[in-house]
Amino acid sequence: MHTTEPIPAQVESLLNAHGVQLPSLHLLLATDMTLTGHYSESWLGVDDKYVYMISPSPSYEQNGRSAGPGASLRFETYPLADIEEVRSVNMMGNGMLVLRTKQTEFVLCRYSNTRAKQLGQFAKIVNKLAKGEALEAEDFEDPRAEVACPKCGQLYPDQNRKVCPKCVDRRSVFLRVLSFVPRYKTQIALILFFMLAGVALNALNPYIQGVILFDEVLAEDGKYHGRLVEMVFVIAGLQLVSLLTSIMHARINAQMTAEVVRDLKVEVYAAMQRLSLGFFTKRQTGSLMTRVNDDAMNLQYFFHDGLPFFIVNCLQIIAIVTVMLRLNWQLALVLLVPAPAIVWFVAKVYPKLWKIFTRRHMKNRALNAVLNDTLTGFRVVKAFGREDAEIDRFEVRNLDVYDVSLAEGRMKAILFPTMSMLMSLGGFVVWALGGAQVLTGALTFGTLMTFINYLGMLYGPLEFMTHIVDWWTHCMNAAQRIFELLDAQSDVPEAANPVRLPAIRGEVEIDNVTFEYEPNKPVLRDINLHIKPGEMIGLVGHSGAGKSTITNLISRLYDVTEGAIRIDGVDVRDASVADLRRQIGMVLQEPYLFQGSIAENIAYAKPDATPEEIILAAMMANAHYFIVNLPDGYDTVIGRRGHNLSGGERQRISIARALLHNPRILILDEATASVDTETERNIQEALERLFEGRTTIAIAHRLSTLRDADRLVVIEKGQIVEVGTHAELVKKRGVYYNLLQKQREALKIGVKIA
Amino acid sequence: MSEQKGLEAYAEIRFLAPEECRFEESPGGLLVLHVDGERYESVAVHRAFPFTYGDDYLSVRDKEGNEIGMIKTLKVFDEQTQTLIRKELERRYFVPTITRIDRIKEEFGYGYWEVQTDRGPRRLTIRGVHESVIPIGEERVLIIDVDGNRYEIPRLSDLDPKSYKLIDQYLV
Repeated sequence: MHTTEPIPAQVESLLNAHGVQLPSLHLLLATDMTLTGHYSESWLGVDDKYVYMISPSPSYEQNGRSAGPGASLRFETYPLADIEEVRSVNMMGNGMLVLRTKQTEFVLCRYSNTRAKQLGQFAKIVNKLAKGEALEAEDFEDPRAEVACPKCGQLYPDQNRKVCPKCVDRRSVFLRVLSFVPRYKTQIALILFFMLAGVALNALNPYIQGVILFDEVLAEDGKYHGRLVEMVFVIAGLQLVSLLTSIMHARINAQMTAEVVRDLKVEVYAAMQRLSLGFFTKRQTGSLMTRVNDDAMNLQYFFHDGLPFFIVNCLQIIAIVTVMLRLNWQLALVLLVPAPAIVWFVAKVYPKLWKIFTRRHMKNRALNAVLNDTLTGFRVVKAFGREDAEIDRFEVRNLDVYDVSLAEGRMKAILFPTMSMLMSLGGFVVWALGGAQVLTGALTFGTLMTFINYLGMLYGPLEFMTHIVDWWTHCMNAAQRIFELLDAQSDVPEAANPVRLPAIRGEVEIDNVTFEYEPNKPVLRDINLHIKPGEMIGLVGHSGAGKSTITNLISRLYDVTEGAIRIDGVDVRDASVADLRRQIGMVLQEPYLFQGSIAENIAYAKPDATPEEIILAAMMANAHYFIVNLPDGYDTVIGRRGHNLSGGERQRISIARALLHNPRILILDEATASVDTETERNIQEALERLFEGRTTIAIAHRLSTLRDADRLVVIEKGQIVEVGTHAELVKKRGVYYNLLQKQREALKIGVKIA
Repeated sequence: MSEQKGLEAYAEIRFLAPEECRFEESPGGLLVLHVDGERYESVAVHRAFPFTYGDDYLSVRDKEGNEIGMIKTLKVFDEQTQTLIRKELERRYFVPTITRIDRIKEEFGYGYWEVQTDRGPRRLTIRGVHESVIPIGEERVLIIDVDGNRYEIPRLSDLDPKSYKLIDQYLV
């Protein structure tokens, strides 16, 4: 029997009482919700004959309590022989299994999204059993296996982010961050040296300006009495040295910071390039960009501010306290009395201030978003005459920023004076007690001044220590996210011993393929298609039918959920990814051209192409003529601030790019959808040259484009419904014929309007 | 240019009127719709404007997801039908109300919450903060966990002080 969780004794004994032994079950699992939508465990099991359902009895549901031990349970059985189908219905935040028999249809159970995967698997297994199909090991593949931490077995908190917070402790992350240190060890050592020198000089200053100046130079009985000029020189000299160390420190620091950020960004970026398309579509590009930039920045703080400052501040506190204790321990102890009050105040009030900072940051971001939105979409704003509405929208956000800035200002206005007042409290104590001691002669005036100066130096580091926790968490989270990216495994991993495919013939076999982006939502179901080398296949169907998904699977941007795709008889999962990509070319609807010259764009996949090759490719793509007409010819820079090309021109450049790439298998995804008919004819000509001798899979909405295809494959709702040549399918008067008719009608309407 | 026509001239919303259709619950707990002499098993009801209009503008769909028609407002239907459709809506939009927050533990950018909801106690995990705890207006808060489950706090001011203090740190 398979199960994914421990089975309560109560459930087991109830099954036993009904004559069901655990080993005879194929699967036993729990859902987390009752039919009335209360959180409570119900259990579902299936053996060769029955589906079993164990759920809390209604009285427990009504109370909205979960069924604890001793709760009465309800036991139901449904014979497999009666079951026609169990389907899972995904809804908002929950789903349900609906069981259909010949007579009726009913809700078997409900589940929250957390358990959607498992229940989907249950439905699949029951359906197989009901149809009398044999179960295979892969049916039982524990959906948790890939989502649980292999070390401790705990589920990952986020299934898309395979990090186990239990096993990845902060210490190891910290150690890993430290492992970056050796790279910059000279710089860090120098920074530490200059920082320490700075601290030492700073710590010396009050002593010299206090004890030495007042007690030894100015006092009548001082050791250096009257040597004021020399003293001033010493003080000035010390300041100069101090200045020099801080300059050195800042310079080295700036250099190292830049280096750390540069290195980190390169590593993160390289790691991202290795990942699969699925990784990028699951996450917003924006958040990935922040990750590269912000997290690298955050980690930089660690090296730049965090670590050195932490060490230095610790030392400074220890040094100052020691010196003060040695100078006059009674006074030092008195001084430290208000310190806890300050720490308390800071711990209490500062988080509020930080919250306001965060809020201002968020509001500013919202304001920037509006700005970005309207400035990029200004054509739409102008076209609809919505300038005033946009000004209002901006004003609302602007007002938010104003409000929060005001709150921040007010808070600061109270906070900082209170803070300095609290700090000077220590000063008052020193003045009062120390002053009294000076009067009695127990304390020299210089020592008193030294004390007061030291006191001032103590609060900076103390304040730093109050948000050390915050800073630490911040850095470690950023580090963790960066490491996660560095460690992330591609969803389409290269096989351990990839089969090399130096020159493929272009035979594609799609064998019983099912694919789902999300659990229980198959986009493709049981697709079977055998494409001969050199054949041209047209994929036809409504948008969202799954045509593009098929092409994504062939080029292995994603891996199939079930079944296999074979090229020249080799499963694409076993083939070398590099070989595969080298021989599969894609022309997409929105040809993406990178910033750079036209020549660079054409030679994107073959950077060492000769000018002759580039021109030949452009000629075949019907692009040569217009390119040479441009003032800068093939060196015309496209993209930002570069030359603006029309949709058809861009498309032809992307075809030239594919031609130069010279793939054995060519995929055209709506390659001519965004251009006018004249241009389309132009492109069509180019494409026909491209098709020759290669396996071609083309997707097009304009069915006329696909007339010459060897076979048309009609896809509907993720399944193949018709296959045949244009003539065959027209004769058949099926789905394709209907699509064709509809397009003809649409064309007629078009003519009438014109 | 000929005279201006409204959009109604070109497209039509099929609003289901109470007198032309009948909703009932199947013995299996599914919603059944009779309209135009047809019987639709297992129909689903979607909110077209879940936030702004709630129980107005509902889309009634058949098992395949095709729209049978829309309901402009539930109010025009009799009590019994209203209850039936509300029940269906409640099933589709499963958003438990958090009544109390017992504990929030944070680790590595994840928050582990132990809460009491109107559907019973629940442990949930949220990722990050700002993308998962979403204030709607002044008082309402929506919480989305890592599995995409949703939870709601309809009125922040109704929370007890301890719970409020726990969630306050997430509300910027």
